[in-house]
Amino acid sequence: MSLSASSQRVEFQERARQALGSASLQRAMAKARGGFVDHRQDAVDALPEFDAIRDAARDIKDHVLANLDGYLELYEQKVIENGGQVHWARDADEASRIIAGICTEAGAKTVTKGKSMVSEEMYLNPVLEAAGMTVVETDLGEYIVQLAGETPSHIIAPAVHKTREQITDLFHQHHSPLGYTDRMTQREALVNEARSVLRERFVTADVGITGANFLVAETGANVIVTNEGNGDLTSCLPRIHIITAGIEKVIPSLDDLSVLLRVLARSATGQEFSSYTSLYSGPRRIGDMEGPEAYHVVLLDNGRSRLLGGQYQPMLRCIRCGACLNHCPVYGAIGGHAYGWVYPGPMGSVLTPLLNGFDQSLDLPNACTLNGRCKEVCPVRIPLSDLLLKHRLEQHDRRLNTVLGRFLLSAWAWLVCRPRLYQGVMALPLWVMHRLGQRRGVLSRFPGAGGWTDSRDLPTPAPRSFLRQWHTRNLRP
Amino acid sequence: MKSARDEILGTLRKSLAAGEPRTARRLEELRSRIQNSLPQVQPHFDDDPLTRFCHKHVAVHGTYDRIRSDGIEAAVVRHLTGLGLDTQWHLGSGPLLDQTRWTDQAFVYRKTADKNTKVAVSEAFAAVAETGTLVLCSGPAVPSSQNFLPDDHVIVVESHRIVRHTEDAWAMLRDSGATSRRAVNLITGPSKTGDIEQTIQYGAHGPRRLHVLIVE
Repeated sequence: MSLSASSQRVEFQERARQALGSASLQRAMAKARGGFVDHRQDAVDALPEFDAIRDAARDIKDHVLANLDGYLELYEQKVIENGGQVHWARDADEASRIIAGICTEAGAKTVTKGKSMVSEEMYLNPVLEAAGMTVVETDLGEYIVQLAGETPSHIIAPAVHKTREQITDLFHQHHSPLGYTDRMTQREALVNEARSVLRERFVTADVGITGANFLVAETGANVIVTNEGNGDLTSCLPRIHIITAGIEKVIPSLDDLSVLLRVLARSATGQEFSSYTSLYSGPRRIGDMEGPEAYHVVLLDNGRSRLLGGQYQPMLRCIRCGACLNHCPVYGAIGGHAYGWVYPGPMGSVLTPLLNGFDQSLDLPNACTLNGRCKEVCPVRIPLSDLLLKHRLEQHDRRLNTVLGRFLLSAWAWLVCRPRLYQGVMALPLWVMHRLGQRRGVLSRFPGAGGWTDSRDLPTPAPRSFLRQWHTRNLRP
Repeated sequence: MKSARDEILGTLRKSLAAGEPRTARRLEELRSRIQNSLPQVQPHFDDDPLTRFCHKHVAVHGTYDRIRSDGIEAAVVRHLTGLGLDTQWHLGSGPLLDQTRWTDQAFVYRKTADKNTKVAVSEAFAAVAETGTLVLCSGPAVPSSQNFLPDDHVIVVESHRIVRHTEDAWAMLRDSGATSRRAVNLITGPSKTGDIEQTIQYGAHGPRRLHVLIVE
């Protein structure tokens, strides 16, 4: 499903333009803005050891990545000892085929899902639905986007782009046939209605599918972190439990888990610990009253193994907390859907071209101001903005950027290498811009700068360059 | 044709060690790192575990009561009556709950919870002072759905089982062999969601309220 480079570029720019012009999206994003950032900052301020723990978290992930083959084997052995099964999938298609096979063999009619971004990578829901199953997302946010026929726009807050009015409409439309005919408008009533509708689904589901925040090689457990408890009801009630996880999710021991949990919730929501952090290992034990009869883990590669040993390896440290999204001005302005694939924001802009191919999503690494906040807040210290810059270089080296873009970059490079000429050439436009914008301090139009000025003002530059001013003041360096 | 497993592990080895096969010795080293795993950087706090636990538990919207071991039934009844609820509940298992003699003041079920379950009373394996977290393990008489289906969850914990950090709880789990249980649930406050307008609402899918009885 590869798109030509130019059509994708139009798609991203068009999606971003639509997002900027969507009143409801802008209203929803304005409500969310700040909350995540402030809560995280409070949590970080309250923990003097935060930076030391981040270093430890980075080191654990680096150690795992350097020994990923070995830890995956040790983890697999433990899962088998516990009575579970491990399936390996090279790509998304293989993974969804494996899962559809397990569900079909079990005669499943209803499948409940805890939140799993990896299953979004697999396009799993349409595959299961095509096989005749009813698939129900159970994370409240993910349930809302499922009702809307959409995909998550944030990796931990899937419905962050939806306003309460939109949720009211969706629930009214989809729950009325189930007997919930009153139109709920208050948050508490909406949550209660979803609780009651989804409870019915939890207890009747044949298969439960969850993601995994971590896979612990020490015990063979998958770890799932939620605030709602939906992941736990999905793990405990159905006959069959399937876990989907990227191969990079394995960690050595429970002590390593402690370190990573200390940075995960704080970075994600600003909580010290999420309400539910659960470790599930294998099917029900002899004598247990409940629990799944079968426990399957589907490990997905989908391009990850190729990243090891290369310059993008640090991206595999990612623990999917969403902090980089919450701190990104571009994400905050356009929301997640404009990014066009499963993972939005800075981590998505790095990961999408790596997993889907460099000629895909060419605009993503460029839709970034390089302000570096993503890198500053990352709990496992992924140098996200540096990796985005590497993407840009790689696009240039592979001649994937536009002819005009390449020409302008080369011209610019040629010019800045000749300082005297550069200053001479720049003096006139600086002076003109200054004169034009003198009164308001900003320019709302300028020839050739429409890409900037159509949606925002351009600050007026000083009348003369820094160097000129320096020289005039006789302060030679 | 190579299996997906062999192909993925092959690619990993090619990226990591120029395709060299993983030696048995290397795997043994990794296993030994796991077996000798030790706590790393931990948040420091001066409070004693009990004080810290109570403080953190209240901070996440939990309530608690400090009682004696012969006061469990009375404390549960008092808590439920205070909420205007019937004094009946699904009962878990543990050293404290198993030795409690229930009177006709209470009606207890010893079976798995279902979608209509209102109240469950469970016993924690341990509690963690660092974050106000309760550690519950599944077992033959302890269905873990009890932790998630009821509206009201009451958890009993012995005060001397409140440890400082999660790593201390892992050590207890390892010592008692409980790491082999199907489920280990770490519970910190009641169920909640922020998915509608990023505003916290309690009682998303799990318990709306969480009450802890600390037995001293």
